[in-house]
Amino acid sequence: MNEKLERLKKQYENITIPKELDFVVEKAIRKNKGRHGIKRLIGGGVAAALFITGINTSPTFANSMSDVPLVGSIVKVLTFREFNVHDGTMEANIKVPVIKNLENKTLESTLNKKYLDESKKLYSDFQSEMEELKQKGGGHMGMDSGYVVKTDNDRILAIGRYVVNTVGSSSTTFKYDTVDKKNQLLITLPSLFKDDSYIPLISENIKKQMKEQMKKDPNKVYWVESAMDDVPVTPFQSIDKNQIFYINDHGKLVIVFNKYDVAPGYMGVLEFTIPTAVIANDLVSNEYIK
Amino acid sequence: MNDRVEKRLIHFIRENKENIYRLAFSYVKNEQNALDIIQESIHKALSSSQSLKSEGSLKSWFYRIVVNTSLDFLRKQKRLQPMDDQTLELLAPSSEDAYHDIDLERALDELPHTLRTVIILRYFEDLKIGEIAEVLNENINTVKTRLYQGLRKLRLDIGEESLEEVQ
Repeated sequence: MNEKLERLKKQYENITIPKELDFVVEKAIRKNKGRHGIKRLIGGGVAAALFITGINTSPTFANSMSDVPLVGSIVKVLTFREFNVHDGTMEANIKVPVIKNLENKTLESTLNKKYLDESKKLYSDFQSEMEELKQKGGGHMGMDSGYVVKTDNDRILAIGRYVVNTVGSSSTTFKYDTVDKKNQLLITLPSLFKDDSYIPLISENIKKQMKEQMKKDPNKVYWVESAMDDVPVTPFQSIDKNQIFYINDHGKLVIVFNKYDVAPGYMGVLEFTIPTAVIANDLVSNEYIK
Repeated sequence: MNDRVEKRLIHFIRENKENIYRLAFSYVKNEQNALDIIQESIHKALSSSQSLKSEGSLKSWFYRIVVNTSLDFLRKQKRLQPMDDQTLELLAPSSEDAYHDIDLERALDELPHTLRTVIILRYFEDLKIGEIAEVLNENINTVKTRLYQGLRKLRLDIGEESLEEVQ
């Protein structure tokens, strides 16, 4: 090797290794261990089965109980409490949502308990990761968790909870709950359809949308077959039976993918609005989705 | 079978994380982004380790993921490229010695990715020509051609600059 190359190699070897590297690597390994390309099952459907029987409608009563006298929008989402950590270069901010004025108290308290438990777990996980990072010499670390109300109309309440983790790089995850305010129940994806044929219908539509978007904008990249001959990653095959979703204000089904699920990280959290015509034949009714 | 591949993969990542970081950094030139590339590459690798067939090719396979992830990222970042302090410091002439190296490094940076990747993998990461061919999914002759092209270009650029210095 000649002297110039030798010098270049030195330069290359002198690239500073950030102290967060260890942590980022270990975290990425832990997170993805044993996945083998199979999408993790997304919970939510389990608890929902309990509520479907618990329909109980009495808007007049609910109305009189509420401090906001508006039929249909009495159900509210508030910040129940916040967990905060400020420790030098490490910071966490966790907002816990709480649903108020749902007539179905079992549903209300189950959802609220779920939100609180998840937040507590986030908080304790953050603290143990913080300790771990400190032992490795410290570094920057942050977490931001909160919620967004995606839809809040007479019929539907859709709450999204997000967690943004920042350790060198960042990752974001979203979860949604969609509540039928009129019938006071939690809507699951399978409950909207007559049978499982929604899975391929939606999956194919999403693949089509991915390809169209990539064609229009070369900066967009999805892991979809044919578009990724050169990327050694399993392409997106199908949505999960209980894929994350919500119903938007126009009564359209929106399918959600977390960062890295179907595209490179820079694409972020992804949403696909499914045209109702695509799934019309498999819908149980047009109550929610129009 | 899958578990064994996964174990080897995790072992490889842990053993080579610094090399992988440098490789990613050599593309994105920024600490945060390089860490992002690492995280994403590990994710891609572990979630598709079943597509890794032959045992020997693990290194090339993982490097390929890192290279492709970096290129994906650059394609996206093409229009806007902020620099962090470290990069600015690196580019600022601080001492005479460093100054000369910067010219050399800049010459390397100015090479097209296709040529630069080959030089980095061959001379800095000590991959064999055959392994580089696997990383890039090209045949061995293409890799050789690019290597010579890259070296020639480097010498040429550096040579011209030293001529100017003499004058």
